[in-house]
Amino acid sequence: MGSRASTLLREEEIEEIKKETGFSHSQITRLYSRFTSLDKGENGTLSREDFQRIPELAINPLGDRIINAFFPEGEDQVNFRGFMRTLAHFRPIEDNEKNKDPIASEPLNSRSNKLLFAFRLYDLDRDDKISRDELLQVLRMMVGVNISDEQLGSIADRTIQEADQNGDNSISFNEFIKVGNFLIFCIFGNMNYYLT
Amino acid sequence: MPSQKKNDIAIRMEDVGIEIDGELDSGSEGKNRKAKASPRAGGRNGKPATTEDEEEEEDQDEAPRKRARKKKASAQDSEEEEEEDDRSVKRKGTKAAGRKKKAVKEEEEEEEEQGKKKKGGKGDAKGKGGKEKGNGKDKKKKNGNSSSSGESGDEDSLSEGEMTSLKEEVEEKKKLIATLRNKPWRMKRRLKLLKECQAFVEEFEGALGKGKGRKLYAYKVMMAKKMIKFNRDFDNFKTACIPWERKIKEVESHFGSSVASYFIFLRWMYGLNLVLFAFMFGLVVLPEVMMGLPYGSIPRKTVPRAEQDRAMDISVLLDFGGYCKYSILFYGFYNDERTIGVLQFRLPLSYLLVGLGIFGYSLMVVIRTMARNSDEGGDGGDDGQFTFAFKMFTSWDYLIGNPETADNKYASITTSFKESIVDEQENQKDENIHLRRFLRVLANFLILCSLGGSGFLIYFVVKRSQEFANLDQDELSWFEKNEVEFVMSLLGLVCPPLFETIAELEEYHPRIALKWQLGRIFALFLGNLYTFLFALFDEVNAKLEKEKSIRNATIWGLNEYYSNYSSYHNTTDIPPPDIHPADVIRGPCWETAVGIEFVKLTVSDIQVTYMTILIGDFLRAMIVRFLNYCWCWDLEAGFPSYGEFDISGNVLGLIFNQGMIWMGAFYAPGLVGLNVLRLLTSMYYQCWAVMSCNVPHERVFKASKSNNFYMGLLLLVLFLSLLPVVYTIMTLPPSFDCGPFSGREQMYNVVMETIENDLPAFIGNIFTYATNPGLILPAVLLMVLAIYYLNATSKNYQNANLELKKKMQMARDEEKNRRNNKENTNQVMQDLEDLLPNRSLLPPAAEEEKPPPEIVLEKGSKSPKVAKRPGAAANGKGVNIQKDVSLAAPNPKAAVTHPPGPRGPSGNARGPPPGPARGRGRGTPPSRR
Repeated sequence: MGSRASTLLREEEIEEIKKETGFSHSQITRLYSRFTSLDKGENGTLSREDFQRIPELAINPLGDRIINAFFPEGEDQVNFRGFMRTLAHFRPIEDNEKNKDPIASEPLNSRSNKLLFAFRLYDLDRDDKISRDELLQVLRMMVGVNISDEQLGSIADRTIQEADQNGDNSISFNEFIKVGNFLIFCIFGNMNYYLT
Repeated sequence: MPSQKKNDIAIRMEDVGIEIDGELDSGSEGKNRKAKASPRAGGRNGKPATTEDEEEEEDQDEAPRKRARKKKASAQDSEEEEEEDDRSVKRKGTKAAGRKKKAVKEEEEEEEEQGKKKKGGKGDAKGKGGKEKGNGKDKKKKNGNSSSSGESGDEDSLSEGEMTSLKEEVEEKKKLIATLRNKPWRMKRRLKLLKECQAFVEEFEGALGKGKGRKLYAYKVMMAKKMIKFNRDFDNFKTACIPWERKIKEVESHFGSSVASYFIFLRWMYGLNLVLFAFMFGLVVLPEVMMGLPYGSIPRKTVPRAEQDRAMDISVLLDFGGYCKYSILFYGFYNDERTIGVLQFRLPLSYLLVGLGIFGYSLMVVIRTMARNSDEGGDGGDDGQFTFAFKMFTSWDYLIGNPETADNKYASITTSFKESIVDEQENQKDENIHLRRFLRVLANFLILCSLGGSGFLIYFVVKRSQEFANLDQDELSWFEKNEVEFVMSLLGLVCPPLFETIAELEEYHPRIALKWQLGRIFALFLGNLYTFLFALFDEVNAKLEKEKSIRNATIWGLNEYYSNYSSYHNTTDIPPPDIHPADVIRGPCWETAVGIEFVKLTVSDIQVTYMTILIGDFLRAMIVRFLNYCWCWDLEAGFPSYGEFDISGNVLGLIFNQGMIWMGAFYAPGLVGLNVLRLLTSMYYQCWAVMSCNVPHERVFKASKSNNFYMGLLLLVLFLSLLPVVYTIMTLPPSFDCGPFSGREQMYNVVMETIENDLPAFIGNIFTYATNPGLILPAVLLMVLAIYYLNATSKNYQNANLELKKKMQMARDEEKNRRNNKENTNQVMQDLEDLLPNRSLLPPAAEEEKPPPEIVLEKGSKSPKVAKRPGAAANGKGVNIQKDVSLAAPNPKAAVTHPPGPRGPSGNARGPPPGPARGRGRGTPPSRR
């Protein structure tokens, strides 16, 4: 099946995608076969319904947000290039890329781009700020009706208070990065414990 | 297709994981990025000289991206390019938040310019323009490395073009290595470059080489990949191997970590008991079964004639009499032959060593676990900076694809939020501290009173029962006979709820309240233990008396027999008396009696526990659930409701049960096996019960990360149960006709015998020396000193840790405070401040001392902890921080690089005249010192 998919994909197209996203040849062909299998309409583009058929996304409280991230503003179809561009965010940072390329061009899978991608998941109205209301919405998706609105509100307040640094009652991308850095630090600290 | 899907997801997962790994040194990277994001930062390090350099590099960095973009533009529609551009600009904008609009525009222009330049110069992908080459090879190498490493992951997909480019690069590297000597660079740089180049060449030469090298390289890559996959699978496997992990997680997701901590403790206990069982079974029980004499061969292995008709009755067996009593389960069954079987297995020695080894091993494991847990530290409340933020942004597991798991995850997220809310509420409490103290003292007083009262009651009852024991059993009423048990169970029934009620006065955080409750009930149970042991010792003493007389009678009878036989047959070759083993008169064998007591106690404990769960939880839940349809009030919400899981009771039950096992294992080797079974069943049974009949606690709270409190209690119980066993081994004489030590004066004589008979003489000498008080005393002294030293060191570390934590907190607060204060200052100034080395353009000291009132209010209402700290920092407690800054502040370069720009309304008046600005630093005017 992989071979069939790769025949549909033109070689020069693969080259371009490779340049753009950093995926390797075999990864691209594999993802292309995945793309075509998701594409029920068989028109070379994916719709939101196509994504919703993935169980992991259907269950995920943030599933809709993730799916949204695949679609450029105002469109409801995504072609393979767009698909790959979004997926490139998930590509791991390679070692030498990490420590030797900090000031070179930023690939899609750079640290800040990854964080930005995550940030966008929460930034519902795309104003580059996570406001209290947006947090509340996400919280409601995550915990449902088990916690009272008042408590949810206080959770949101606390979250903002923790991350907010300029006192505008919302989390900007800069502040989000701070949280991310700290988080990574913590995870790594904990990991040492679990490894031993 | 599903497999493909999974694969896809797995890849994604891996990516995320790797990303996290990769972020370790994000600090420097972040700095770099910042530097890049705002090129006007220029002398970020306060060295104007480097500004140019950086800017130059900036240009180069811009290049590849532009190139890529242009290339794409030619291939694809230009619309997309525009969007991409847009995005990148936006990204930049967000990154350098607060930068002036103008600056952004300027940058855009610059970018445009560069783009043009690049478009003209470098169209092809691998082309390295002459200019770039001239600028420094390290730069190019970076590019090369990054692009090629992208392919290194998937070597099989290397196309021809890439191959050639790679080859060129390797060649270049080689050339560089050759000519490095002549380069006019500093030694350090040269060395670094050399190392990098060599590594690169080594890595990629194989890929390009023909034949063997190539194959070797491919093989290496393949093996690396396989290794990664294997490691991942192995990790999964390891997780899958942790028993009951799923079950416990399920419980945790519904009932919170506190209830789960009990089950984790139970699991740990199960593991410990498995090891003990392995010791006991492998070194004592199994050898006796395999190589020892069979049942019925000697008196101690036979049921006495008098008991034989009832030996198989179920009621007798349930009391562990009859065949049970004379079985492998108990001490008395074991023979005292020094060695048994073809292997010459020294069973008595092994018995003693295993009996003591169980204690040794348990002590070691408990203490090791405690030590390991303690470095994880914390009492469970995470004082981290971003507790809620983390929960918010990271709690969902993106790999969940199963609706049931998703439900669990929802539940666990909710629970964890609730736990955090409880912690948060606890932090916010600030009422009348005096009243609180008074109430706590009162509560402790009350509880001490009731503990003392129950202690006295137990003492009184035991005394009375001793008196009763001297009286004739028939004259006593039923109550008088069972008084002790009755009082004990009454106390056990009444006291814990009483304590819980009193504890509500104290208003502790539930986690701390649980500890107090545990400690108090523990004290109560100790009374229980005390009475039990008291009774047992009385029994043992009585048996010892009885045994003495029987022993004398037996010896006398034997002597009679021998003398009669020799005089009758006139021979000295006397066969042993020909009596059936069942008819031999025997002593009471107190060890077996003790063992039976412990086994009985354990079994009754199991029964009580299980029945309580069945009635107290299951039946109650049934009634509440089904009678609710036809009842006058709401049973579920009203009075009986569903039961909560009783953590303290269960944990203590487990701990004391373990104490019984430790004490009894020496006298009843089968007890450990019984306990293993018990723990195994109770794991499933309680898991089921808690999931089906209980409701979560009203205030779900987070358990402490380390179970050290449980462990501490366990250690105490272990120590307490060690005492009587060692006492009996060391002082009481073993029974003369049963058990592995029969016929010896003391149990430990077995060791002496072995040393004398089986080991070479010099070892015996060594032992004599080692047991010399002159040696032992210094050794003890040395150990005490070592303990003292280690203790002191650990204290110091702890202090240092605390100090550092405080400092970190203060630094954070300072930062926050600072940001809040200059909220209204000019955006440009903010920018500049970001770039300045030591933030020497901070808002003036006066402002910092007195943060804007509305912020204080806001914080105060949310968490007093936070509200207090900024003040503390400003009051001069953070001496170290202030010192740091005031040392760094008078950096003249910093002052020079910055034009005295607009300072915003609040800070404007002060301006930065060089003198005062320097001294101000972080708000530490010398006068305040």
